This record gives sequence, C-alpha cells and structure tokens, in this order.
Amino acid sequence: MSGAANREQVFPTRMTLGVMKGKLKGAQTGHSLLKRKSEALTKRFRDITKRIDDAKRKMGRVMQTAAFSLAEVSYATGGNIGFQVQESISNNARFKVKARQENVSGVYLPQFEADINESINDFKMTGLGRGGQQVQRAREVYSKAVETLVDLASLQTAFVILDDVIKVTNRRVNAIEHVIIPRTENTISYINSELDELDREEFYRLKKVQEKKQIAVAAADAEAKAKKLKAEKERLEALESKKAQLEAAKENGENVKEEIKETEEAKAGVVEESVVEEEKEEEEEQSGDLVAQTEDDVIF
Amino acid sequence: MEGLFFNIDNGYIEGLVRGYKNTLLTSSQYVNLTQCDTLEDIKLQLGATEYSSVLSDINETLSTSLIERKLNNKLIEEFTYIKSQSNSTLTKFLEFMKYGYMIDNILLIISGTIHNRDKSEILKKCNALGWFETLPTLTIATDLTSLYETVLIDTPLAKYFQSCLSIDDLDDLNIEIIRNILYKEYLEDFNNFAKNELPTPSNEIMERIINFEADKRSINISINSLDTELSTEDKLKMLPNIGLLSSNENIKHQLASITDLENLQVLISSIGIYKDIFNESTANSNDENGKSLEDFFYEYEMRLNKDAFTQQFTFSTVWAYIKSKEQEIRNITWICECIAQNQRDKINNYISVY
Repeated sequence: MSGAANREQVFPTRMTLGVMKGKLKGAQTGHSLLKRKSEALTKRFRDITKRIDDAKRKMGRVMQTAAFSLAEVSYATGGNIGFQVQESISNNARFKVKARQENVSGVYLPQFEADINESINDFKMTGLGRGGQQVQRAREVYSKAVETLVDLASLQTAFVILDDVIKVTNRRVNAIEHVIIPRTENTISYINSELDELDREEFYRLKKVQEKKQIAVAAADAEAKAKKLKAEKERLEALESKKAQLEAAKENGENVKEEIKETEEAKAGVVEESVVEEEKEEEEEQSGDLVAQTEDDVIF
Repeated sequence: MEGLFFNIDNGYIEGLVRGYKNTLLTSSQYVNLTQCDTLEDIKLQLGATEYSSVLSDINETLSTSLIERKLNNKLIEEFTYIKSQSNSTLTKFLEFMKYGYMIDNILLIISGTIHNRDKSEILKKCNALGWFETLPTLTIATDLTSLYETVLIDTPLAKYFQSCLSIDDLDDLNIEIIRNILYKEYLEDFNNFAKNELPTPSNEIMERIINFEADKRSINISINSLDTELSTEDKLKMLPNIGLLSSNENIKHQLASITDLENLQVLISSIGIYKDIFNESTANSNDENGKSLEDFFYEYEMRLNKDAFTQQFTFSTVWAYIKSKEQEIRNITWICECIAQNQRDKINNYISVY
C-alpha cells in the first residue's frame, strides 16, 4: 500500500478535502449497514442450512417408504401397473405447488407450498380387480414424499439465493473496509500534507520577500545617511570657511564673536541628530525578528 | 375310466409339468434367499436352481427388474413349449389360460390409443403370455371405432366385447371398468368350458380354482370401489356370476350395494372359507407387518394350486404350475426388492407352499 498509488487522483484543495471527508463518512455508514445486513442474512442462512439438513434426512426416510410401497404394489398387482397409472391421469392436477415470496433483509426468497386437492383422485379405479388398497397407499405415501420434495425445493432455492446475496454483501463489506475507506483516508492525509506543504512554501516566500525588502530599506537608509553626512560636511565646511572668514574679520569687530558661537552650537546639533537615527534603526531590526518568531509559532 | 386314455394325448405334458413342478423353489430355498445381503448373493443362490441358465449370462449390473424379466422369460419359454406340445382339449385349455393376459394387453393398447401413445412402446409393455398374432395389428388402428371393427372382432376375445360392451362404452367408460367387465365375462366363459369340456378330475379342480378367482375379484372390486362413485348397477356388471359369493343373487346384490367397509366385512365373513380373511388381513388397520388381503388371496390360491397336483390325469396341473411359477417370480422379486431397499423386516412376506 504505497501512499501515492492507493489514493484517488485529485487536486489537493480544501474543497476536495471536504468532499473526501464526506465520502469517508458515507463509506463508514454504508459499511456498518452492510455488515448488519450480512449478519442478518447469515443468521437466516444458518437456519436454512439446518432445515435443509432435516428435510434431506426426512426425505431419505420418506422416499424409502415410498419406494417400498411401490414394491408392495407391484407384488400385489403382480405386474407392471405404471402404464395404467400413466394413462388414467386427467388434466386436473391433484397436487399443485404454490409459490410466494418472502422478504429477508431486502432479499426476495421464493417459498413453495404444496396444495393438495383431496377431491381429485385419478387412480380410484386403478387396481380395482386386485391391489387397489396397495395402490391407494402408495399414492398417499408418494404424496407425502412429493410434499417433502416441495419443502426441500423451497429451502434449496432460498439456500442458493441467500448464498449468492451473502457473497455479494460480504464482498461489498470487504471492499468498503479494505479498499474504499483506506483509500479515502489516504487521499485525505495526502490532501492535508499537500496543503501544509503549500502553507510552508507560502510562509517561506513571505519571509524571503520581507528579507529583500529590509535589505533594500537598509541600502536606501545608508545612502540617505551618506547624503546627509555629505551635506553636513559641506555645511560644516561652509561654516568653517565662514568661521575662518569671521575670525579673519574678528579683528574687525565684537559682533563677529557672537556669530561664531551660533555656528558652533549648530555643529553640535547636527552630530547629535545622526547618532539618534542610528539607534532607531537597530531597534527596528529587533522587532522584525520577533514577528518572524511568532509567525513560526502559528505555522507549527 | 377317465384316466384310461389320458396319457395318449397328454401324458407327456403331465410328466413334463410334474417335472417342472419339482424345480419350484422350496421353503428352505426361500429361507436361503432371505439370508442374502446383495442381489449378487441372490443370483448365486438362484444359480443352484433351475434359473441358473437364465441368470448366468447377465453381464450388466443386477437390478430387481432385470432379475424379474429374466425369470419371466423362463416362464414364458416353458409355457410356449407346453403349448406347442399340446393338442385338442389341452390346447383349448391353454388358450383359455392366455385369455386373461390377453385382456390386459388389449386394454393396455386401447388406453394407449385413447391417449395417443407411441404404439411400439406399448407393445413392449405387453405381457408376453398374452401375446397373440393379431396383437400388433391392434396398434395400427388409430381410433376406437376402427379398432373395434377391424381388429377386436377377429380376436378370440371378441365374444366378450360383443356380449357386454358397445362401441360407445369404449369411449366413455373407465378402462378399469372395461377390464373388470371383460374379466367377468372371461371367467364365466372359462368356467363354462371347464365344466362342460374338461374330463372329470380336471373340471372339478378348475371349477374350484375359477370360482375362487371369481370370489377374489368380487371381494376386491367391492372393497376397492367403496370410495369411488360407482353405482350399484356398475358394480353388478363387474361382479362375476360364479363363485361362492356372487352365485347367490342376494349376496351379490348386497356386495354391490353396501357402502361401508364394516358391513362388507360382515357379509364376506359369513361365507365359510372367507371367515378368517378379515381377522388375518389388516387391510383396514395400520399394522404394517400384518398380512394384507392380497396375501390372504395369494396364499389361498397357492394352496388350491398345490392341491391340484395331488390328482393325476388332469389339465389343471398345467394351470397350477404356471400360477405357482408366477407366484414364485413375485416372491423372488419381493425378496430382491426387500434386499435392494434394505427393508428386511418385511422380507418374510413371501408365500411358499412347496
């Protein structure tokens, strides 16, 4: 039972998963119902087997007496009476077989019943001269024998039919139990695994995308920083040059002192700003890891 | 005086038949037969008797019917031989013996004709003892009218048909009724023949036997017809006018009109020799091992037949021998049947008098 071979060829989607689960449930219900049917039939079957056994034994006895009563007839009449009996048969049957149907767990079993019309007797005259009593007795014994045969016939037919039905039912039960249910289960687990696989792929993809994004962001930041530093530098240089100009001009007056002070203060502010920005970036990276960890938790 | 010229014509036959009679199975041989376990054993036992020749060439598996057929063949052979050696009165007597079987055969064919059976098949079922030359021609007739007019009229049995049946009867009447009417006519005719044409000891013995045969039929018919809707007139037609029961017009009428078994038994028991028939027979009870009415009749008949051998210079020895032989075949068949079907508790129901 290799996993890939013993499953249905389906696309592993959530919808098929739903369908398969429904199918599994249906198969299980069907299995228990069929099992019950098979048990009921088997019970009946055993009963019939027993009755067939009885009937066959009875038939053995009855047939023996019947055959012997025929021997008595031939002894008493002293000859071949068969022809007389054959010829005196009229069109009205004395012994009729009626058939009706019986329903056992949805199986129709024919039932035969003997129906004897006592008023019809074709052989009343047979053996009138001699052996009449033996003829009548043989007739009665044979009627009984035929009755037993009719009983046996209906049992035997039921036996054959039930046998077939039980075989079919058992085959179905086994098919469901050993083929359909495992296959459906396999399909379900296959769909599940495929779905998980998809999930993982999706997650990994997302992570990759995020990573790329971060790299891009970092690059952009660095560029921006460099630009800024360059700008600052330029400003500093500009200030320096201004300072130099002012110092040069110091000699020119007190007001210039104040301007120098201003530029120095501005210089310190620029340095402070750049340090704060660097710290911020570090913090962002840490929180990104945390998100990744929680996402992993969700998946597994 | 009666024995004086008997041997001129019939001495050989009588000697022959008495010789045959000695080959009939005895009680001890029957006992041996009943001890057998298989049909093979039976064959072995019969091998020590007259039947060895007919049974030795059986190659197929033994069956009751096969044995019965072989034994019957021997009987027919013997009868044919006796008949071919006979002349004058004895021939006539033997013809009369055949008539009984002929009635059965003709009725077989008539019923076959009514039901459109395959003719050749029916012919096979005919009793060979009742075979006569025109029997096959009976099968050619396709309808009853032509059967009667072209064929039956030429058979020795035509007189029986003539006196009691019209062509219409053949159509409506039950074949069994026809059979019994014919048989009645036959018995009466036979009785007439025996009384008037046979020499002295033969006629007495034969009359006794025929009368018993008639009584047997009367009793059987009256008992077996109890449950049927046969009218008293119909029954009267079937009861022979001879015999202890039916020669008395009063008793005969009662026989035909009584409709319940008990009264019938009382009536039949009132005749001396049949006094014990219902005590011994259990035809109406459920005791399976008891003797049936048929057993009683067979046994009585066999006693009569055995007695027939005690007189010399009689034709009746032939009758007695043939009947004894028939009974013997029935006995052997019965024993075979019991062995084949493993019903040993009834195996001793055969009738042996020799």
